[in-house]
Amino acid sequence: MEFDFSPVITYFPTLARGIGATLLIAVVVALLSVLGGQLVAVISIFTRKAVSWPLRFFIWLFMTTPLLLQLYFLYFGIGEWILIPAVAVGVLGLGFHYMAYNADIFIATIKSVSHGQYEASRSLGFGHLATLFYIILPQAFYRAVPQLGNNMIIMVKDTSVLSAIGIAELVYRSQYAISVTFRPFEFYITIAAIYYLINVLMESGQYWFERRAANRR
Amino acid sequence: MDINLMIDITPLLVKAAWVTLDISARGLFFGFFIASALVVLRTSRHLPLRWLARGYISVVRGTPYFVQLLLVFYGGPAIGLRMDPFTCGVVVGAFNIGAYMSEAIRGAIESVDSGQNEASRSLGFGRFATLQHIVLPQAAGLMIRSIGVLAIILIKNSSLVSIISVVELTYQAQRLIGSTYKPLEVFTLSALMYIVIIYAVMGLVELLYRRATRYTFL
Repeated sequence: MEFDFSPVITYFPTLARGIGATLLIAVVVALLSVLGGQLVAVISIFTRKAVSWPLRFFIWLFMTTPLLLQLYFLYFGIGEWILIPAVAVGVLGLGFHYMAYNADIFIATIKSVSHGQYEASRSLGFGHLATLFYIILPQAFYRAVPQLGNNMIIMVKDTSVLSAIGIAELVYRSQYAISVTFRPFEFYITIAAIYYLINVLMESGQYWFERRAANRR
Repeated sequence: MDINLMIDITPLLVKAAWVTLDISARGLFFGFFIASALVVLRTSRHLPLRWLARGYISVVRGTPYFVQLLLVFYGGPAIGLRMDPFTCGVVVGAFNIGAYMSEAIRGAIESVDSGQNEASRSLGFGRFATLQHIVLPQAAGLMIRSIGVLAIILIKNSSLVSIISVVELTYQAQRLIGSTYKPLEVFTLSALMYIVIIYAVMGLVELLYRRATRYTFL
């Protein structure tokens, strides 16, 4: 029972590439899930049932099944029909998963914007879409910020699951390093610390952003 | 959709779903005790104990469950922790959900108006008697609901235990997709089982919630 952290230092460039991949995936997934979630929410509120019910069904399906099962389905299922790279499957899978969670939040916040806002805007001459875009959605977005932040912090932690379908992010890189050095404890402790650091940074970012958003609400 | 295949694989998936339920139920059970211990530590009179609990909660909530699982299962032997995969899943699940649950329990206790506590203390109840007879009955409703949410998160997290080769629902689903090449059928059935489990838990939580709030006016 003696620890040797020197392999971690030797393989730190490998881990650093993993951190880069994790952060890149997280940024892409965050953009995809927030913008997509906004879109899904708008479509599922303002269209007829033939369109909105299937969408709500998918939101529900993504929220009631585990992420890993969805990833396996996309990875092995879509792979049957078309050949797409694992990174695309991972980003889309994680993106859809959190798109569903974000859409659920946006649906609630869009509905929470007072109907008087809509009526006032229409009577001032804005069209339906212009009202949505300039009046309703900005207000809904700022109300959603705290929960969106929480979701994104959970999402960054969930990027670690992508290693299960072979995406070379932080966990996968460290697994490679472990297979060479046979030092699982040291490496996993290190990447846990890295995730913790990312998490702490995101939480302070969330705090800062929420204060700014509160001013605009 | 290949109905015959779906009928054939149902027994396998039901057995695997039982393992999912088993591992989650045990995790929740032990997690509750860990959470209670953490709440006691967090409200302790000694500063180092409060710091210890806060640090533990912060670290567990700040790192991925998946990495915790890998750390304990593969890194554990280096510090003398050897466990079979199932036990490891239960232990890590319990320690993970315990951190989240301690926050839920503390939140529920703090949601009870502090006047209740003061009134009870001034009527001669002790610290623990106040907690037991006055505060906890009023906090129970909120506590049950938030623990219910965490139970569902624990069930969905239990899919990650497939990585350390526990044959639960997601592991079995992945293996069946690999052997039958029918992802849609396997996914439909296994998703259905997760949904059934989650709705059963939600129903149970609702039942307990009604029971716990029988005498409280909310």
